[in-house]
Amino acid sequence: MTARLARARDALAFEWTKLQSVRSNRWTLVAAVIVTLGITVVIAESLASAPANRPAPFDPLTASFLGYAEYTVLPVTVLGVLVFTSEYASGLIRTTFTAVPRRGSVLAAKAVVTGAAALVVGEVLAVTCFLLTQAIVAGRHGGLSLSHPGVPGAIAAVGLALAACALVGVAAGAIARHTAGAIAAALAVVYLLALLCMFLPDPWNTRLGRFTMPFAAYQVVSLHPRAGLLSPAISVVVLVAWPAIALLAAAAELRRRDA
Amino acid sequence: MSSAVAIPLLVVVVGFVAGCLTAVVRDGPPRYLPKWAWALVICAAVPWGGVAYLAFGRTRRPGIPLETLAPVQPHDPGGPPAVTLAPPPLAHRRPSAGPVAIEVSGLTKRYGAVIAVDGLSFAVQPGKVTGFLGPNGAGKTTTMRVILGLDSPTGGTALIAGKRYRDIIRPLHEIGSLLDATAVHRGRTAWFHLLALARSNGIGQQRVHEVLRMTGLEPAAGRRVGEFSLGMKQRLGIAAALIADPAVLLLDEPVNGLDLEGVRWIRQLLTHLAAEGRTVLVSSHLMSEMAMIADHLIIIGRGRLLADTPAAEFVSRARRDVLVKSPRAAELAALATARGATAGPDDSGGLAITGMDAPGIGELAAAHGIAVHELVPRHASLEDAYLDLTSGSADYHFEPAEGVAVR
Repeated sequence: MTARLARARDALAFEWTKLQSVRSNRWTLVAAVIVTLGITVVIAESLASAPANRPAPFDPLTASFLGYAEYTVLPVTVLGVLVFTSEYASGLIRTTFTAVPRRGSVLAAKAVVTGAAALVVGEVLAVTCFLLTQAIVAGRHGGLSLSHPGVPGAIAAVGLALAACALVGVAAGAIARHTAGAIAAALAVVYLLALLCMFLPDPWNTRLGRFTMPFAAYQVVSLHPRAGLLSPAISVVVLVAWPAIALLAAAAELRRRDA
Repeated sequence: MSSAVAIPLLVVVVGFVAGCLTAVVRDGPPRYLPKWAWALVICAAVPWGGVAYLAFGRTRRPGIPLETLAPVQPHDPGGPPAVTLAPPPLAHRRPSAGPVAIEVSGLTKRYGAVIAVDGLSFAVQPGKVTGFLGPNGAGKTTTMRVILGLDSPTGGTALIAGKRYRDIIRPLHEIGSLLDATAVHRGRTAWFHLLALARSNGIGQQRVHEVLRMTGLEPAAGRRVGEFSLGMKQRLGIAAALIADPAVLLLDEPVNGLDLEGVRWIRQLLTHLAAEGRTVLVSSHLMSEMAMIADHLIIIGRGRLLADTPAAEFVSRARRDVLVKSPRAAELAALATARGATAGPDDSGGLAITGMDAPGIGELAAAHGIAVHELVPRHASLEDAYLDLTSGSADYHFEPAEGVAVR
């Protein structure tokens, strides 16, 4: 047991050192944070001055994360993809596998390290975006406090969703091995499936769409979840299931194929 | 990401955000965003994936041949630090598990219809440098990858000290390897590259300093690997192989692309490591490299074992003949043939006689009154012996051009 623990700790230290020692990774996160905050402010300002007679009811909780949904999720997903594909592109992956011969350990360590980094960034950004937006819209719409029912859960789920997207990226990178293909695959899961579902004829767009990540995330951050979609609790399960399935497929693929 | 990409990208991003914010502050809160602003937001949102791919996705710059990277850079600590060879950290070395360090038996590896390795068996002993030779495409790298557990064999086994690679806990302590010196992340510094590897096998920072010193890379430790010359990358690869002070070393073409100084440095290092009782397996497709380094030779062609022999024996076993020049060569040839030797014309215009030594031929000629102008005993070089052995098994042959002498 202690040997297994030591092995897990080694693999984690390995992946963490690699993740943290490449400048582009830090820059990606910094850029993502700056852009998200900027866009969130812009969106909140526009909502604060929006006329009251808008067609849709105003949901200040959802509105907090509109910028986050694109400007954080995209770069972090790509970051997750690069965790594997950058190593495959340079051949470093073979060094990695000679240092840690168990494919499963490598995948698990990469997933834990990347997922944890995304989770931390995601939670910090979620809280910041929420507070910024509420401060800006407070004058007109009253704004929400952190203790408002449903808010803590939503903020927790937003960070989780970012980690989920990063993990889909990691799995896609392990399966596709090439950066371009892996990014396409990861973004298909993270965004495009939902987009496709929206073009389906009426009952089917939500019937299938509710099982995609964007719909699930939307349900989780809504003060008044829409009927016809999955409940927030099940939506969280959907958010977890996508990366879980992808990672299982990646584990099988890594074991089966030669490095 | 190179700073050449990161900085403009950041400027654009920060500028866009700042522009939005100043617009908000100057004009007061906008009544909704105007259409053009939404268009801007969407346009900025869409290309993120592409930008990120361009920035981070391509870890190697395409189209730069290795050779152009090779010349020693001004910072290269590259004067081979012959004197800094291994401060032997042997006090804590465990003795190698058995007399056989690497054992490959009946190894077969198939890629689709192609058989890369075909029933290969050999053992590598500690205490000497073993050369692993074969023409391009003979299966050397495949064999090494199977030994390292990177590829799974179609049949047979490859064991290190009696264990499969994947079953070794903290494998870097048992076996250090260098497959491809350019397989490093361009954006990571040498220090962090080695530190990550060290941590992967529970090794402390102290050892990273040690291997950097041993390979003469200490002054370059803080530089990113993308700036390294090929020679420096080879040193970094050797440092990585030595990171856990392993008893077995497995190096694939370590002198490929190195200048003479670098070759000499690697030769001294390997000899030194073998003398410490380690097992060293070095692959190459060039006999001339191996001739200087190896004590023992394992030669393969088309995935099969051609020879497994001490280097000295390999030379002595090789073809030897006597070159004779004589005005009556035809008569001499007939006489020699009558005594069981074989004689044939040599490319140089003389007579090549195999199966008799030079004194015998001289006396034979004297007894029949045949004048001899030249009498030269010849040994095939290691190179020739190797070519003889592998000529049937090279994947690609060069046909001599019409009318051009081969020699």
